[in-house]
Amino acid sequence: MTAVAAKYDELKTLGAVVLAVSVDSPYTHKVWSEGELAKIVPGGLPYPMLSDPGGRIGQEYLVYDEENGVDIRGRFLIDPDGVLQAMEILAPAVGRNVQEMIRQVKACAYVRETGEATPAGWEPGKKALKPSPELAGKVCEIWSPEMAF
Amino acid sequence: MTLRVGKPAPEFETSAYEKGEIRKVKLADYRGQWVMLYFYPGDFTFV
Repeated sequence: MTAVAAKYDELKTLGAVVLAVSVDSPYTHKVWSEGELAKIVPGGLPYPMLSDPGGRIGQEYLVYDEENGVDIRGRFLIDPDGVLQAMEILAPAVGRNVQEMIRQVKACAYVRETGEATPAGWEPGKKALKPSPELAGKVCEIWSPEMAF
Repeated sequence: MTLRVGKPAPEFETSAYEKGEIRKVKLADYRGQWVMLYFYPGDFTFV
């Protein structure tokens, strides 16, 4: 959560916003934010913390754990038209990779703008592929696995 | 409602805390922007 906050300026320049969601009430969010998070992130979190009582939203996104009554670590990337473009769900004890999330925003935005496809490990500046019948069976001529790293 | 990449993300509206204030937030408010929707197991854990 604070790791995302640390990269929030970069997300903002990409035209991305963050919405954090848990089953806690807005008042619990307030206490946590003011009591602890503000000590880690000066000024507090730069994005909203949403309340999901009973896991209503979490159920729609298939991340609600009825047994424990919590939303597990799901992350969803939604495009400017409201269409889901990427998702990831991690075990509760495993934290996320903010850099990879930012890379996916960049890749999804690039695909949306250009109609091209971004191969494994793509980052801005790296080669993208133009899908076409001529490319079928010939990706190996213009792309190789070491370009992913 | 289907949850699938390439399909509309499920809409929602709920209350949220941000910078000292509590207000309503809905997914549709963010059309025109990329939205990172982050679920986490609970306050006072790491996210």
